[in-house]
Amino acid sequence: MMEVLSFFFNSLVFPGLLFASLIGLLYAGIDRKVTGHMQHRIGPPIWQEYLDVGKLMGKEDITPSAAQSLVFNVAPLIALGAVTTVMLLLPVNSAQPALTAVADLIVIIYLLNIPAICLMLGGYSSGGPFGSVGAARYVVQLFSYEFVFILAIIAVIARVGSLDLTAVVGYQAQRGWLILDLRLIPALIAMIISAQGKLMRVPFDIPEAETEIVHGALTEYSGPKLAIWRIVYNIETLVVAGFIAALFLGGPVAYTIGGFQIPGVADFLIKTLIIVLITTILRNIMARLRIDQALKFYWTFAAFLAVLSLMLVLVVP
Amino acid sequence: MDSKEVSELIKEYAGDVRIVNNRCLFATSDKQRFRALLRALRVAGVTHISTITGIDVGNVVEVIYHFDCWPTMLNLKIPLPKDDLKIPTITDVFPGAVLYERDLMEMLGVKVEGHPDPRRLFLPDDWPEGVYPLRKEFRGAPK
Amino acid sequence: MTFVVPVGPQHPMLKEPEFFRFEVKGEEIVGVDIRLGYAHRGIEEALSRRSYKHNVYLCERICGICNVVHSTTYCQTVEQLAGVEPPERAKYIRAILMELERIHSHLLWLGVAAHQIGFNTLFMLAWRDREYVMDLRELISGGRVHSAMNTIGGVRRDVRSEHVPTMLRGLDKLEQSARYYTDLWGSDRTILARCTNVGVLSKDDAIKFCAVGPLARASDVKVDIRKDDPYGAYGALSFNVITEQEGDVWAKGMVRLREILESIKIVRQALKELPSGPVRTPVELKIPPNETVERTEAPRGELIYYIRSNGTDTPERVRVRTPTYGNFASMKSMFAGGTVAEIPIVMWSIDPCFGCNDRITLVDSHTGKARVVSFDELRRWKK
Repeated sequence: MMEVLSFFFNSLVFPGLLFASLIGLLYAGIDRKVTGHMQHRIGPPIWQEYLDVGKLMGKEDITPSAAQSLVFNVAPLIALGAVTTVMLLLPVNSAQPALTAVADLIVIIYLLNIPAICLMLGGYSSGGPFGSVGAARYVVQLFSYEFVFILAIIAVIARVGSLDLTAVVGYQAQRGWLILDLRLIPALIAMIISAQGKLMRVPFDIPEAETEIVHGALTEYSGPKLAIWRIVYNIETLVVAGFIAALFLGGPVAYTIGGFQIPGVADFLIKTLIIVLITTILRNIMARLRIDQALKFYWTFAAFLAVLSLMLVLVVP
Repeated sequence: MDSKEVSELIKEYAGDVRIVNNRCLFATSDKQRFRALLRALRVAGVTHISTITGIDVGNVVEVIYHFDCWPTMLNLKIPLPKDDLKIPTITDVFPGAVLYERDLMEMLGVKVEGHPDPRRLFLPDDWPEGVYPLRKEFRGAPK
Repeated sequence: MTFVVPVGPQHPMLKEPEFFRFEVKGEEIVGVDIRLGYAHRGIEEALSRRSYKHNVYLCERICGICNVVHSTTYCQTVEQLAGVEPPERAKYIRAILMELERIHSHLLWLGVAAHQIGFNTLFMLAWRDREYVMDLRELISGGRVHSAMNTIGGVRRDVRSEHVPTMLRGLDKLEQSARYYTDLWGSDRTILARCTNVGVLSKDDAIKFCAVGPLARASDVKVDIRKDDPYGAYGALSFNVITEQEGDVWAKGMVRLREILESIKIVRQALKELPSGPVRTPVELKIPPNETVERTEAPRGELIYYIRSNGTDTPERVRVRTPTYGNFASMKSMFAGGTVAEIPIVMWSIDPCFGCNDRITLVDSHTGKARVVSFDELRRWKK
């Protein structure tokens, strides 16, 4: 009985849906505020994203007649399920994730791809030209960044010698953070570049380039379904940041300062916020690339960094 | 070319030359000599047509071609009687005139013969045939 | 398989309504068709029904961005018809206003161009610095955008001598930021990646399709009405005609940015050499039958007014040819072989002003019609 309750608590409240969406939306608000300041604007208040999503939730749900299919309606829900599941597999409060069943890095990589695939399906099934172009672009982008993303993870795996995220975090607790290992710095850079593509941020916001294809795959979505997409996107940001934090920054660590027990989740929040801010800064100092340029960039420069890191790990003792 | 040179160039194809100043002149020609004049301008190195103006003056529609003869402006008038509103296209000699000729066709009902793309330009697709907004007899949009 | 990407009448890329139909094969553009007329107000006909004096204000409203150059050209044309010469001081003030307008138009272009390639920070910064020009315009004329300064025979307000130092300080700030953006446009890697070799208009095509203004100058065609056919005070002011060789989007941006620096120079010189005297000549506005053409260099290129008078206080016919209208013919050759990603920036590289472009017809085309077109096509795409 306790196990069932605890499972529901984990998946719906902490660290699942409620926690993840609250923090994800807050990070999106911080991102918008920082962007505003970088652009010499005041920017919206940091709770703006809650208001936006709340408003979308209350709007009428319009499905275009060309898009009336199960795929179009279900895609955002599946994506939401996938990102929430990753949240359960990440070390959020301690090295131990909420779901302790056998689930290693490969499962996380798979699950992280499901929102992307749902986005494509939603775009293709929306029946509009912008959705199709956006989905087609996202396919190309997926093939660009995913290779680099996986290569960077392999570099970490080769260094630690385990496919288990808990083991990676435990290893770092004993031997120091992997970011301090110079051989893995190129892999970290490659990882952040591919995260930029995964999260569709400038210069890789090509699949949803506003001035070219309106909103890409999400053009035909409106109301609650669009709100769910926004939540998915923001949880995905948090999840990717948490994943990078677990791989390179030692994951959540609980501290005791002056008799006060500070829980690991505070550490998790600080580390993920730093990573989100790095991506925010990157997206504000560049122009958008074209899809062919993005592909070339990933398969040359970013892939080179990841391979370099892997080689260093394997060759240099 | 300045105004004198331009008037020298066109004098056998056009009459009624009025030199306004060193960089602007008006001239009147007719449909028969029009093509030859265009070729003469082209041979003399004129490539830029600035625009085409159509004016309804009672029984005649005056079409004015504004050529830029670097830096002189040649304003060439072709009067067309309303019962024979036809003029050959100039797009084969001056491709930049494509839109201006479409404009002329829909606004004043001048038929430009041989135009490569004689569709409407500004007017809506359901605008009735034979109603030309810049004509004198035009009295408001048809309901 | 080709499919159609509709751009317009409403699309985030367009700041004004117009319809462009792109036939696309994958990402490559294979065909483009333009449907104009969504912003018709019937101004040419309206101009021939109002008195010369009223028309100054109507001409000013043909385009919001280039309102001074429209009203100046109109006033110059009527002055020529009536045979009056405005005082020298008025000509200088007009030149100052027109150059400030060029600066603000080009900075606006830079901001939107940056937005089109997804560089929103540059967009915000460029528009922040555009505020300096707006302040200067407000100082002279009282209006940030619509100055309402021109009148037939001169200008309505004088530039006060105590404003000159403020103007010069503002110009210094402006020059600093313009230089910064010029450097940025020439050095930022992502801007270069997006703008070089994109939307190329060759020199031959620019001449063939009668391109005007910065579009032609970026393709190495040295046209500038201010130099070729000096009007107003421009004969006495010294400046360079900016050209670039490449003809791509980058060159079009560079021409505009360097023109900002030239315009700052012109304004400085005009302020320094501002002649003293009255700013207005009285004009008798009953003009005997006559006709004349005037042209000026608007921020976007050559602007032409043709006016025929008929002895009354209203013109018989006014023809306006705005620079955007002249540049549309070049558009097809710029899109040929491009990709969908290039549509916004290439479109914007001619600095289109549809409000200017569509001024001709009598009734505005019904938006209902536009929706029918789009929806029909939407249904076809579904199949």
